[in-house]
Amino acid sequence: MPLDFRRFNGPEDSVSYKIYTKDYLKTYDEQLKDLYDENGKRKDGRELNEARSMCMFFARTDMVSQAKGSAYVELRKTKVVCSVFDPREIPHQNEFRQLGQLYCEVKFAPFSCPRKRRPYVPDVEEKALSVALRQALEPAVCRHFFPNYQIDVLIYILEHDGSCLAAAINAAGLALANAAVPMFDIITSCSVAVIGNKMFIDPTEIEEHIAKNSTEVNHGIITMSVLSQLKQISDFTQIGSMDVECVTKVMEVLLKECEIIVPNIQRVLVVDVVKNFELKKHLEAETKKREEILKKKMDEWRSLLNGQ
Amino acid sequence: MAGLLLSSTEKVFIVHGVQEDFRSDGRSNIDYRPMELETDVVSHASGSARLRLANTDILVGIKTEIDTPKPDKPDMGKIEFLVDGSANATPEFEGRGGENLASSISNTMQRAYHSSQAFDLKQLCIVEGKQCWKLYVDILILECGGNWFDAVSLATKAALFNTRIPLVKALLMDGGNVDLQLSDDPYDFKFLDVGSAPLLVTLCKIGEKCVVDPSAEEESCSVISLIVGITGNSKSYCADKGASNITDVDIKCSTISMNGPGSLAPKTLKNAIHQGM
Repeated sequence: MPLDFRRFNGPEDSVSYKIYTKDYLKTYDEQLKDLYDENGKRKDGRELNEARSMCMFFARTDMVSQAKGSAYVELRKTKVVCSVFDPREIPHQNEFRQLGQLYCEVKFAPFSCPRKRRPYVPDVEEKALSVALRQALEPAVCRHFFPNYQIDVLIYILEHDGSCLAAAINAAGLALANAAVPMFDIITSCSVAVIGNKMFIDPTEIEEHIAKNSTEVNHGIITMSVLSQLKQISDFTQIGSMDVECVTKVMEVLLKECEIIVPNIQRVLVVDVVKNFELKKHLEAETKKREEILKKKMDEWRSLLNGQ
Repeated sequence: MAGLLLSSTEKVFIVHGVQEDFRSDGRSNIDYRPMELETDVVSHASGSARLRLANTDILVGIKTEIDTPKPDKPDMGKIEFLVDGSANATPEFEGRGGENLASSISNTMQRAYHSSQAFDLKQLCIVEGKQCWKLYVDILILECGGNWFDAVSLATKAALFNTRIPLVKALLMDGGNVDLQLSDDPYDFKFLDVGSAPLLVTLCKIGEKCVVDPSAEEESCSVISLIVGITGNSKSYCADKGASNITDVDIKCSTISMNGPGSLAPKTLKNAIHQGM
């Protein structure tokens, strides 16, 4: 792990206190049983196939005043902020590129993960998420409108409770739209954790952790992002081990889920546009008033000067 | 990639050929190029392999070290991938240029080997909770000829197959500290079980069809490719066909990812995954 040279690092062999709690020593089966009770409801009250986008979804744009466009997405406990900045020249670039580039960076806040503290230096997981995010956003953005420039998309994950990549892609799509970057379509994303024969849509962090380390026949996590109107899949990542039927089944489910999120995103964008219009009208009314006052003053002075 | 300049006529030629299931070097859409695989090429590494897949040349070296296992996985060893694009391959890799490609290859490999069904890390355990083997898989890209992911996964599997893990002869438990004594005999080692280690298959979408094992020219004609990691069936690697104690496992996907600035229709994705299997 690369050391962070900007601060004084504590002893390297410090571990999280959680490995000494009773929760930790549960066997895999007990942990699995914990995830859902007899009625098939999950720990946070959702059904197995209920995504957080239905009941615990909150999104808004214009979060960061300094950025050209920004968005904040909250999926119950997972909180993600995204900012998009104006196109700028690509640093360290020698050749001319016909298409614009997207520079994506995903960062976890050090206090965001429940299992351990995130180091300041970007580690492998953050770099992998950045690459996946870029892969997902590239087909959605009209890159021929800004050749030889790059647009920065910066994601900061404030709290990680599962489905980080999905939340990040949703936030990035919103922020790009808020920044008036020309796009082909609205991009939405969702993920599913598979444990054995059960599919957990929009998994929480505990469900993801168990899915990744499960020893069942089918286990893993699939994240998919879709361009809704064009019906194209822009990114599909799978980790774990599952057979082809499982993958195709999950793909069907994910396609539906991503479609369901679209109205939410559209609503946020429409609210944003309406707000901007009203702001513009308000500003115009104010400007008119000020111009009136100034005109009156001008007339006064003119009459004074002429009178002299 | 790789300073290739194809005229648009050449690209059209390749696309039309692929539609007819006929590629520019005479292969069909699902044929691989001839490959040469050599193991045990690096004497100082615990395991190594060199793969030549037409123009693509990959060298993999594996080093074994003793390490403490992670506190939440006390009976599992560790495996770490590093991909290094040498400037020999293409001038773009000079300095930090090849880092993007290298990190995406090593991420995909890490995801492919993550599942316990792909590569069982329990065989790397020495003393539960205290000592385990850590494998450093170092992959060197010597020459670029298209289709890195497949070549890297093939070479890695061969190198893992060739890896010699020394046997532990004696163990001294000294109040929490463990002292190991490894066997001195150079022929005293065990091999790893890599029957189910995953192989990555790259399917490159050119026009309407998907092509397996794209060459560098074909890669520059396509916008999107799908990489499927498939775990194998241990049984088919047994010399003794009558062995019944190894369970018959269906081939499975251990990782799927997309590469390239394009997008796929859902049906194409499904067909491509089936084709990869």
